[in-house]
Amino acid sequence: MTNFILSGMKYFLIVFATITTIRLLLGPSASDRLVAMNVLSSIALALLILWGVTTKNVLYLDVALVYDIFGFLGFLAITRFLKNTKDKL
Amino acid sequence: MNYERIWAILRFILTTLFLFIIWLLFTATTETFTLIFGLFASLLTAGLTYHIFLPKHQASLNFILPNPFYLIVFLALMVINLYKSSFQVAKAVFTGNTNPRIVHFRTRLKSDIARTILSNSITFTPGTLTLDLNDDHLVVHWLLCSTIHNKAAGEKIKSNIEKSLKRTLK
Amino acid sequence: MMIKEVVALIFFIIGSAFGIVGMIGLFRFKDPYSRLHAGSLCGTTTVFSYLIALLILSPSIAITSRIVILIIFFLISAPTGSSIVSKFIWESEEAEDQRRSMQKEDKSL
Repeated sequence: MTNFILSGMKYFLIVFATITTIRLLLGPSASDRLVAMNVLSSIALALLILWGVTTKNVLYLDVALVYDIFGFLGFLAITRFLKNTKDKL
Repeated sequence: MNYERIWAILRFILTTLFLFIIWLLFTATTETFTLIFGLFASLLTAGLTYHIFLPKHQASLNFILPNPFYLIVFLALMVINLYKSSFQVAKAVFTGNTNPRIVHFRTRLKSDIARTILSNSITFTPGTLTLDLNDDHLVVHWLLCSTIHNKAAGEKIKSNIEKSLKRTLK
Repeated sequence: MMIKEVVALIFFIIGSAFGIVGMIGLFRFKDPYSRLHAGSLCGTTTVFSYLIALLILSPSIAITSRIVILIIFFLISAPTGSSIVSKFIWESEEAEDQRRSMQKEDKSL
């Protein structure tokens, strides 16, 4: 039962990440791409924690903790960069 | 010793304690060297940044330290709100009749931390999204808007959270 | 032992259902604000439900305590990330028309 739930979560998260990547590639404007990246970072966090619980390894959870805290600094950098450039991506 | 000096020392101690607790959570060991190193690092960081972390105009301890019992009540309320508004947005995805609108209103909370928590918890629930926060003035994007009047919309969005938050922080 | 797994299964099903609906919404809505709402359905509700399910299923006390800390930091960091994105949309040029029409509506902003 536990193995079923864990593997089900794995496949669902991979499917969600794939669909969000399609949105990231299709998105007509920069805002749509940023929305997709925001969702993608949360899914990556969930995958890291899931992998840590599946393999019973604490190291993945430490990596997930640091990724969670410093994850949104990347968004700050990207939005600052896009605000300064005139041409739309 | 005047009041300003005492308040500065108190803020310094609170910042040091906060940083040291975070250090203990991250390292998760009780070796002597780690504890002493962490204490000195948090003292140095607190001495440099305590006036940014807790600004001078936070009037009392009530503005900074939350009431632990009501904090748990507030977190439980947030989880209930999360699932409730998720269900509403899910219904809107299938039916397709959304009414997106930008509303703006004021909040009655006084401390900066409580206002930040209020705007963050508005963003946390799907369906409402904080765009801007100036002093006590919030600009919110609401997906399923039901009223035209700004103040009534504000009451509908925040009243539940604000009432609980007012008991937690001043 | 059995009750734990049933509760975890319930949270797993709830999270997966909201994730699928959010993915549909990500392609169905047209403007970036509504897409962010649908995205937060998947990025917040699904991940939060999965985290609670993993908290129930966790094998040892070291992993349990880390997941509790992770949930606390997730409550802080998830709204911050989407708030940065929403502020970018609010200040970008694509939303300029929307803001102008809103200023016409009420003068106080």
